[in-house]
Parts: sequence; structure tokens; C-alpha cells
Amino acid sequence: MSVASAVAEQVLNGLVVGMVYVLLAAGLSIIFGVMDVINFAHGELFALGAYFAFAIAGPLGGAGFWVALVVAPLLVGVVGMGIERLTVKRLYGRDPLYHILLTFGLVLIINDLITSVWGKSAQPFPIPAVLDQPVALFGFNYSLYNYGIIIFGSILALGTWLLLNRTRFGMIIRAGSEDREMVRNLGINIDRYYTLTFGLGAALAGVAGIVLGAYQNVSPTMGSSVIIPAFVIVVLGGLGSFRGAVVGGLFVGVVQTLARTYTPFLEGLIVFLLMIVVLVVRPKGLFGTNIGAGEHHDGALLHGAGGGVLSSATRAKLGYAAVGVLVLVPFFAELTGVTYSVTLLEDILIWALFALSLDLVLGYAGLVSLGHTLFYGVGAYASVLTLMHFSPSVFVALAVAVVVCAVIAWSVGYLSIRVSGVFFAMITLAFAELFYNAVFKFDFTGGSDGLFGVDVFYGLAGLGIDPREFEIPLGIMTIDGGMVQYYFLLAVVVGSYLLARRLIRAPFGSVLQAIRESEERASFIGYDVTAYKRRAFVVSGGLAGLAGGLFAANNGYVAPSFLHWINSGEVIVMTVLGGMGTLYGPMIGAGVFVAAEDILSSYIEQWQLVIGVLFVLFVIFVPRGLVSLPQTITEHSMFESAVGDRTSVKDAEVERHD
Amino acid sequence: MTDTILETQNLTKEFGKLVAVDDVNLDIERGEFRSLIGPNGAGKTTTFNLLTGALRPTRGTVTFNGEDVSALPPHQRVRRGLGRSFQITNVFSGLTVRENVRLAAQAARHEGFTPVEEFLDNKDSFDDVNEHTDRVLERSGLLGRGDEPADVMAYGDKRRLEIAIVLATDPEMVLLDEPTAGMSAEETRSTMDLIDEVLSDRTLLLIEHDIDLVMRVSDRITVLHRGEILSEGTPEEVSEDPEVREAYFGGVEA
Repeated sequence: MSVASAVAEQVLNGLVVGMVYVLLAAGLSIIFGVMDVINFAHGELFALGAYFAFAIAGPLGGAGFWVALVVAPLLVGVVGMGIERLTVKRLYGRDPLYHILLTFGLVLIINDLITSVWGKSAQPFPIPAVLDQPVALFGFNYSLYNYGIIIFGSILALGTWLLLNRTRFGMIIRAGSEDREMVRNLGINIDRYYTLTFGLGAALAGVAGIVLGAYQNVSPTMGSSVIIPAFVIVVLGGLGSFRGAVVGGLFVGVVQTLARTYTPFLEGLIVFLLMIVVLVVRPKGLFGTNIGAGEHHDGALLHGAGGGVLSSATRAKLGYAAVGVLVLVPFFAELTGVTYSVTLLEDILIWALFALSLDLVLGYAGLVSLGHTLFYGVGAYASVLTLMHFSPSVFVALAVAVVVCAVIAWSVGYLSIRVSGVFFAMITLAFAELFYNAVFKFDFTGGSDGLFGVDVFYGLAGLGIDPREFEIPLGIMTIDGGMVQYYFLLAVVVGSYLLARRLIRAPFGSVLQAIRESEERASFIGYDVTAYKRRAFVVSGGLAGLAGGLFAANNGYVAPSFLHWINSGEVIVMTVLGGMGTLYGPMIGAGVFVAAEDILSSYIEQWQLVIGVLFVLFVIFVPRGLVSLPQTITEHSMFESAVGDRTSVKDAEVERHD
Repeated sequence: MTDTILETQNLTKEFGKLVAVDDVNLDIERGEFRSLIGPNGAGKTTTFNLLTGALRPTRGTVTFNGEDVSALPPHQRVRRGLGRSFQITNVFSGLTVRENVRLAAQAARHEGFTPVEEFLDNKDSFDDVNEHTDRVLERSGLLGRGDEPADVMAYGDKRRLEIAIVLATDPEMVLLDEPTAGMSAEETRSTMDLIDEVLSDRTLLLIEHDIDLVMRVSDRITVLHRGEILSEGTPEEVSEDPEVREAYFGGVEA
């Protein structure tokens, strides 16, 4: 085959994948443009489309594919409408962050449902025989099915565009995205249109899933592997821009495919590099115009609950009690032989520190960092590399982790904090994915295996404790290296909490709170808002790096999964679950989440489903987190719920911050 | 030579083909109460935004206390003593009254903090900030209400807090953006009294479209029309200017 036809084939392959992206991104973009909802569950709806088709086509044989191609997207559309009605709808008017959280919960639910029905392994989904043959066009052979995808995708995209721009339906939802109240005042039931729009987006995702499923195969991970590129496309093209979704989708599909063939090193990196460059040069994306869309929320409920009914003295006592219990646990574990509980607590402490770090930016500076695991992962890699190559001292390793992460946070912050809101979220996500993909590429990071087998030394310059040799007999028990590790961790986490508390009570923290309340006002009393956010991000990045470094040092390994976006999602879940905008809330959230995950996963196979459902209920009904529960309960008994939720939220904001 | 505090030279702002502010030369004297008026679309708000730093001019300069501040972002201008109030009350509603004022007071002496003070000392431990906060609360009639949360205050009290925050930034000059927009005659009077009571020793520039109000309170008035200065002078001079009558009353004999 000549070079030209080889390139042409790769470009065609790119267009095939690109068309799938177009359908996905168009749905995402419409849903965002009309309802300001960032739908993380879009990838799962995509997978659902593939599986529905797989289930329909299988038993029917021959013509099954064609039936499935019509029926499965409709089913996904119905599922989408159901999701909108039951969950998304309840959150309109709240900060877009809550939609990210909600749909993240939906990801867990749908994904677990898929695996429990269809199993964990990938399955082949044969394309109809009539399409499964090569055709010769322009002098070379190429799969008819692939041509089919390109043509079918184009027709569908064009149809969607016509629907949005040339019909009454399109006119109403576009008007609704400009001014919802106005449309409602015209006597139009805009809610119904929102439901339909969500259904439309879901159905488009379903079609994309079927098309790709038959092109490759169907697997439960197919959703999570396309969602991030789909986001990149939507951001590249401009949030809410249909044209941007089409151009971005095809472009990313082609670039990705060509990179895979011709510059394998850049595969997986190039798309994120592109996105970062585009956003730095054109923060609104290539075709973005309505940058205001996601920005003018009053941030309702974004921040946490604060003290609630407990006085600060009571909280201090509870804090001391918690630390006291944590100090005693290893002794009981030793005596009872349940050493497992110490391991679980170590996990909890590390995630608590990670959640605390996120809360400084999310809860205090109002910055939604969707890629916070970047710092967790880089901290882990930095400390393991330090331990392997420079010093066995855990102190040195952790210091390196903190410094490296703070420097990266400064750079990322420098590039992205001037780009506000939703875009900041996307850029942080892109940076995290960039690093995630990068660690696979290098030898010094151990590629896909990661790095393991490091030992730590709790000291400096030869003076200190080697946990492998440390043992002090103490009556009926021994203090061993494991305990040293545990107490060191406990001390670092408690110390970090105290440091964070001082920061928040210092002038620095008071300005962060001012920024969270009103950025504009903070700037017009003389504060450099961008600089403050950047500083908060640096502190936060450093602490997240410390958490990652601690985990790596304790467990003696690091792997690419440390940088996987699911961690970023989980840490946000913990922070919100506990109650952001308080420092202890997210730590409690981390404890509950990690413990629940641990316990559930040992009893139920569908634990992700349970966690997902609980989380969705939480986002809808207890948006201010666990720490607001005592207060909510008190208020309900006081007002007999007659006053309604609105007022209780208002009153709750009276006392806050710590 | 008079003592000029704020001066603009050939200040121009274009939005595409629309020239919102066209070659405006302002010269505001220290201690003056100046008003900038004009019918809707005259370019008042754009001029205001050019002065505060929310917008950058297409051409021309803004000079404050002899320094060219045209390229400075808003917070730098505030630091140099150019404060502003908001049309729609914009306070930190989740915080207490005292914290609202204290934050502004803290900003006013912000350069003086060492990193340790900035990041580790308790925010309430700075005597000079606390004293300044107390003084401002007293002067704006909010003493004793410091512990109230800002978001449950009555509308009039929020306006009071709004002015107090401006005062706490220690401005030499305050830009007031239609402080009485949407108010009843009664509310307008009490707001203007409050401004007079609290800010009378500062240079003031009031952006306003209510011509009667402006006539009552201003030392001098600048009339904007279609982005250009139409007339300037004392209230008497301006009210007798036939061009102003033409622009405001559209040729109707008054």
C-alpha cells in the first residue's frame, strides 16, 4: 500500500472515531448549553446504548442490528429522561458543581448495573454481514461499515442541527437556555422541554455507543474511556457550541488516530496538550461565545454548613476525643489481633488529608478542581522516586513530594485560574489526564507497572527508626515498625489539619472566604483575587502531594492508577459528603466513604451501586454534607418542616467557617 | 493651579463599531463632589468602568494623584485610594457585619503584613485593623451591630454596610454608581444623607441619571451625551445650558 493510501486510511479511521465523538459531544454540549448541566454520566449512557443494542441484536440474529439501531437509542433516551426527571431536575438553580457530583454518582450506579447484568469482560458485537465487507473507492479498499458510520453520523449530526435551529422545539430550548423564566412566562412548559433535551442528548450518546460497540466490542469500561475525550472536545469546541462539538469531535478523532500510528509517544497526550493550548490562547474554546452561561450562578449552596448546632467548644472536645481514639486503636488491634483495622485507618487518614487539601480550594476559594488526583499521584511518584534514588528518609521524600506538587500547582494555577469556573474544572482535569497518560510512557516512572519495593527510614542522616528492625517489647505486646508508621501518619495528618485551620483563621483565609462570598467585591476592596486563588491552589496542591507521598511511602509502591480521574471524583464525593467549607467535614466524609466502601465491598458485589445511590440521595437531599445533619434535624423538629427548606438553608448560613 | 486628583485624557472606549466613550477629558479637583450625568446610553457606566479598572480604554489615559493608572487592575486602583460603591448592594452576605468591614480595613493595610502574619496569625489579632474597623463601624452608625450576619439585614442597613465597606478601604476618592437606583424618594434622601454623613470629607464622583438629585448635591456636574462631554459646570450653569435642555428634554420647552 502506498504511503498516501496508508495515510488516507488512517484519516478515515480517525473520521470514524471522530464521528462517534461528534455524536457524544453533541449530546453533552446540548445538555450543557441548554441546562448548564455537566453530565459525567454521558459515557455510561453511551455504554448503555451499546449494551441495549447487544441485548436486542443477539437473539434476533440477521436483522437484529437494524432493529437495535432504532430501539436501543430510544431506550437510552427514555432512561435519560427518567434521570432528568428524578434527579437532575431537582438541582436546577444550584451551582453547576452539584450536577457534576450528581452525575458522578450516576456513573457508579449505571456502571455497576451494566456489570451485574452483562458481566465484566468485553464481548464481541458482530456487525451485520451486509456491512462487513470492504469496498474499493478512490483506488483502495476500505470497510463498508466504516463508510457507513461516517455517512450515518453526518446525517444524524445534520438532523440534530436542523432540529435545534429550524424547528419550534429547537427555538424553545435555545430561548430557554438564554432566559428560562422568560420562556416560562410565555406560557411554555419549559421543564418538559428540558426533559426532552436530556433524552435527546442521551439518545445521541446511545447511538454513538452502538456504532462504536460494533466497530470494536462492548465492554463495561467503554463509557469511562470516552467520557474524558468527549469533555475535551466540548471544551475545545466551546461549551454549548454545536459547531464546536462537530469540528472538535472530528478533529480529535483524526489527531488521536494519526498520533497512534505515527507518533505513538504522543498518543494519549496530544489531545490534552491541544486542549491546554487552546484554552490558554482562547479560553472560550474555538467556537465558544456564551462564556457567561456557566458563570452567573449565585453559587447557591456551594459552600458548607459550618458549626451547625454544635458549639465550637463541643467540636473541639469531639476533635480531641477522635484523636484520642485514633491513638489507642493500634493497642486494641494488637491485643485483639484485628490488625486489619489499622490498615483501614491508615487509608482513611490519607484520604482525609487528601479531602482536606481539596476543601481548601473547593470549599474556601470556590475553585472546582476536577483533577486533584494530579497532585496526589505526582506526590506519590515524587516520594517513591526520591526514596529509590536519593534518600531513604521518609522526611526527605515527603518534603520533595510537597515541593514538587506546590510547584506544579503554581504552574497549573498560573495557566488556568484566570480562566474561571467550568473551564478551570476542565483544565485541571486535562492536566491530570496528561500526567496520567504520561507516566505510562517513561521508564523512570515504571510505565504501566509503576514502581514498587521501596523501603522507608523514619529519620535523617542515619539517625532514626528503621521500621523493619524496630521492636520494643511492652508487657504483653510490642511496639513495632507498623505502629511507628501509623503514628507518624496520624501526626502528619493532625498537624496538617492544624496548619490548615491556622491558615483559614489568618488574614489569608479570611480573604479566601471573602472571595467565595463575592469575587467582585473582594477585588474592589483591594485584594488581588487571582493571586489569592493561586496561593490557595498551591497550598492545596502541596497538601494533596503530601497525602499521595504518605500513601506511597506507607505501602512502598506507586502505580498509574494513582493519577486516574476516578480518584479526583472520589475525593470530591468525600468532601461534599462531609461538608465542604469546614475543615473537619471533608475528613469525616473521607472516613465514612472509605469505611463504607471497605465494608460494603466485602459483603455485597454491587457495592458501587449502593454507594452511588447513597451519594445521589445525599447530593439531592443533604447538599451541605454530613456536618449539617445535626442542624437539619434540629431545625426540622423545631419548625416541623412547615417553613420549608429554603429558609433553613438561609438560616444555616448564619454561623459558618472554621 | 488647582489640585487635581483624577484626570482623564482623550479617554475612549470602543466596542466593535460602537464608540461608547468618545474622547472624554475629565478633571476632578480634590475635595470636590462631582456628578456625571446623562440620558440612558450616554456612556456613564462605561466611563465608570474605565475609571475603576473593570474595563481597559481603547485610547486615552486615566491619571490618579499624578500617576497613570490606565493599565492597573481594579484592586491596585483601590489600593491607591480610588474606592467604589456598587449599585446593587454587594456585601459578603455570609459573613458578619464586622467581618465585612474588617476585610476592607485589612485590605487597606495589606502591604504591611509579613508572610507569617498573613498566613499564620489570627486575623483578629491586628490592633490597627481592629481599631480602624471600630472607627468605621462607629462612623457609619453600625457600632454594636458587628455580630449580625450581613444577609439578614434590612435593605437600608445593607446600603449602610455597603458605604461602610467603602469607607474602610480608606479611599481618597469614591466613585458612586447610581447609589439610589430603584429607591423611593424617602430612601433616596436617607441614602444621600448617609453618603454626606460618612463620606463628605472625600472626593466624590457620582454617576447618576436622576437630574434633580444631582442638582441638589453636586459641586460641579459633567453631562455626557452619546459618549462625549456635552457640558460641564456648576448646577446652575449646567441647568441653563440650552444643549443640556435639548439632550435631556428633547427640545420640549421647559
